[in-house]
Amino acid sequence: MYTEQNVDIIPEKWYNIVPDLPEPLPPARDHDPENSSIDLLNRILPKEVLRQEFTSSRYEKIPDEVLEEYSQIGRPTPLIRAKNLEKYLKFTGKIFLKYEGGTVTGSHKINTALPQAYYAANEGIQEVVTETGAGQWGTATALAATLNGLKSTVFMVKVSYDQKPLRKKIMNLYGADVYPSPSTLTRFGRHTLEKDPNHPGTLGIAISEAVQYALDHDIRYLLGSVENCVITHQSVIGQEAKKQLEILGEKADTLIGCVGGGSNFSGFTFPFMDTDAEMIATAATEVPKFSQGKYMYDMIDTAGILPELKMFSLGADFIPKSIYAGGLRYHGAAPALSLLIKHGRIKTDEIDEVKSLEAFRIFSKTQGIVPAPESSHAIATAIDYCKKPENQGKTVVINVSGHGLLDLSFVRD
Amino acid sequence: MKLALYLTFPYPSPAVFDRFFDNMMTMPFDYVELGIPTDKPYYDGPVIRRTHRKALDGFSFSALNEAVRKAKQRGKRCFALVYYNHFSSNMAEFLDLLKESGMDGAIVPDILTDYFDERRKIAEAMKERDLSLIPFFTSSTPDKIISEMIQLTDDWIYHGLQPSTGIRVPVSIDLLVNRIKKLAGAREVIFGFGINSMEMVRELKKEGADGIAVGSSLVNYIENNDVDGFIKEIETLGGAVYD
Ligand SMILES: Cc1ncc(COP(=O)(O)O)c(C=O)c1O
Repeated sequence: MYTEQNVDIIPEKWYNIVPDLPEPLPPARDHDPENSSIDLLNRILPKEVLRQEFTSSRYEKIPDEVLEEYSQIGRPTPLIRAKNLEKYLKFTGKIFLKYEGGTVTGSHKINTALPQAYYAANEGIQEVVTETGAGQWGTATALAATLNGLKSTVFMVKVSYDQKPLRKKIMNLYGADVYPSPSTLTRFGRHTLEKDPNHPGTLGIAISEAVQYALDHDIRYLLGSVENCVITHQSVIGQEAKKQLEILGEKADTLIGCVGGGSNFSGFTFPFMDTDAEMIATAATEVPKFSQGKYMYDMIDTAGILPELKMFSLGADFIPKSIYAGGLRYHGAAPALSLLIKHGRIKTDEIDEVKSLEAFRIFSKTQGIVPAPESSHAIATAIDYCKKPENQGKTVVINVSGHGLLDLSFVRD
Repeated sequence: MKLALYLTFPYPSPAVFDRFFDNMMTMPFDYVELGIPTDKPYYDGPVIRRTHRKALDGFSFSALNEAVRKAKQRGKRCFALVYYNHFSSNMAEFLDLLKESGMDGAIVPDILTDYFDERRKIAEAMKERDLSLIPFFTSSTPDKIISEMIQLTDDWIYHGLQPSTGIRVPVSIDLLVNRIKKLAGAREVIFGFGINSMEMVRELKKEGADGIAVGSSLVNYIENNDVDGFIKEIETLGGAVYD
């Protein structure tokens, strides 16, 4: 899996879709007219990350050090023909999996954690902070920080913190300090706990806490999803998949992935935007951002510290049900992805927890890979898709964004 | 290179504005940009946003006509900076008034981001009145849209360096200037939004920018009622631009 010749599959540049969009990406906007939250980004993000967030360049060179780290953590990730699943579904086409669960932290999140931590360390920063929902992003941050000689702090959404003790252990093992959010460590956390001491937490609240903590301690904040530079970094997924298909002499007819903030889906599909591949983005029915959300300017974090972005959103104060797919419990979706959905270039689907669990079981049994609960949503969409007569014979690629080996508590015996 | 100077009209009051404006007119520069105050200047930074709020009360077209007349007398070209959000409900009437004021054209920063589907309609309405639409681009304007807007217009081009005015996030000026110059061909491209150091002006010049537009950095002097400092700032900018 990690042979030298495979390393050629890792791209040398990240792809930024902004110059190729069908209309301009609506710019970040200040939430509070008295202050510039865009200016505030200077205090919480590494300079190079901020530059990449607003760049007009189509390609960004991946630093050699980051390329080396990519190969250390399991890139390129495998592209696997899912023959057993094809047989099970009696599908006459081909199903491929791009398996991001194959990285050492078990998901795609490490693809952006590494460059962000690298740039922070390069700028002389000693410590980074972030939030995590399901724990995947916190795990990736913790490892990326350690590999780059940084200390890390992670605010973990309270429900996940309670549901997934193993996640906390891994983060601790990688050297991170982990706190349940809402916490008493920040003003916003204390404010939230005063109103409701048993608040289950949300990703929006955890982001607010992490950003406030970064400001209070003059350290840097790592961005887990939604922002454009994250999607640019995640383009390694789609670029690799495209090359791997090419080597096999295959062409993708359909690309399917799940959407929390939109980073794995966008990183997977955007490099295919110059093809006529059909693209389907799957959200959770319990977080119905595509069917019931509005395309509007909204806050990224609940406290409104970060600039607002135009996106499909259910509102920053939306409190989703405690579904197991913690990574899908986010009120919005990346601006470039939202814009392409609005244009009809990307289609959407919504899958509920029961159905995702069914897909999770089928997939585990046929392919042996235990998918992340988030990824199971995409697999469910793919199963529906491959059952339809009109889709027979097609080549379908599913991005399996992570493995679910640490999420097994949600499977009843 | 050319120098474009931005003031919100009439900030902070008609009388104080006139004093600064009249002094400004004695200085060498090329284009005047007058901001038409609005209650939602979304794409401006905090400094310019403040000026909009204060200028709203003092605004009148008759006063604007007088300011434009003075500028034209001095041979300056005159452009409005106005949000489409501000005149979308009475476009024909508003553009007629702009034309009557003697303006050469307008920069409308929210067309592409908030009123994308109306871009052709606005460009045509301005062309009919012989007003130049100055296309406003940023690093997030896609290549194809830049090319299309260049086809739809025929005067200079405004390129924002920053996500909004008066703030500064890191940008690679060389990449940015190269991209737009390649797409713009022979058209004049003037850079603004966040120019606040001579170092930046020099770098823009080195990379082949056709001009710079400055606004936020002038507001301080008006706020402090410092006419001498204001004039000196324009002199310094002119020095860097014209030398
Ligand atoms: C395995 C996995 N898939 C998907 C997601 C959703 O995030 P995004 O849409 O940014 O890829 C997460 C987020 O935590 C995740 O951990």
